[in-house]
Amino acid sequence: MSDFAKEKAARLLKKRGSVSSLGSHDVKAKETAGKTKDSISTLSYIEEPGHHEDNPRPTVQMENTFQLAPYRRFPVLTVNDILKDVLSSYLQEEKYEAELCRQMTKTISEVIKARVKELMVPRYKIVVLISIGQLSDQNMRIGSRCLWDSSNDTFSSHSFKNSSLFALANVYAVYFE
Amino acid sequence: MPVILKIILTVSFNTDEASVTVKECIEGIIGGIDYNQNKVNQWTASIVEHSLTQLVKQGKPFKFIVNCAIMQKSGAGLHTANSCYWDTATDGSCTVRWENRTMYCVVSVFAVAVTC
Repeated sequence: MSDFAKEKAARLLKKRGSVSSLGSHDVKAKETAGKTKDSISTLSYIEEPGHHEDNPRPTVQMENTFQLAPYRRFPVLTVNDILKDVLSSYLQEEKYEAELCRQMTKTISEVIKARVKELMVPRYKIVVLISIGQLSDQNMRIGSRCLWDSSNDTFSSHSFKNSSLFALANVYAVYFE
Repeated sequence: MPVILKIILTVSFNTDEASVTVKECIEGIIGGIDYNQNKVNQWTASIVEHSLTQLVKQGKPFKFIVNCAIMQKSGAGLHTANSCYWDTATDGSCTVRWENRTMYCVVSVFAVAVTC
């Protein structure tokens, strides 16, 4: 079973042309009951944009506007609602499946970024971070720390759970002076 | 004739250096230890704080966001994705995946440039 799974994973990877750093590891069967003490992980897809830019755009030097604080602050509550809305509409009825959730994380992060951009809050840079995981016996903790200007910069976060999966969405907004 | 010297102060984010820094932080804090539910709270807090202090010590003009997820190994799957709206010439991110026998740790660092 493990050989078949390996071949299938390799075929899928070749189709997508993705980077895989674990060529010889097995995928541990999910049906194994009880605690799996020595499970081996498989990184099946990693996509890192932007590193293959050979001619990066020259850094644009902005002129001073002498504006220290934003005229319009980042609307945290509105973004909270956006996150709640997007996560529940995309994931309410879904069951955890590796392929589906892989695509889902990427789609959801793009959708949330687009909706936050629509709010058109000037001079704010946005970072959206999505995590979707399977609900099983495991315990997990996610934390983040930020070094920024707390008077102007802020974040918004929402978590969602259904019977087979959980999802966490974080949006960080950083003011660009 | 007077010579005019113009120095450009903006630098772009060095992904490799950040990745090495973060990996060392993780190793230092949860290096040879097994998953322990009572301690995972302080582990995430110290990994994130430690990485942040080390990144700041590099002295670059960036605002940082560091995100850390620690998960017990039980056969369950986890997916993370991020999407960023920023200036790709100056800002950047890096993600470090680490695991040992009993747990996974994924740390993401986002760096947004500050115009001095």
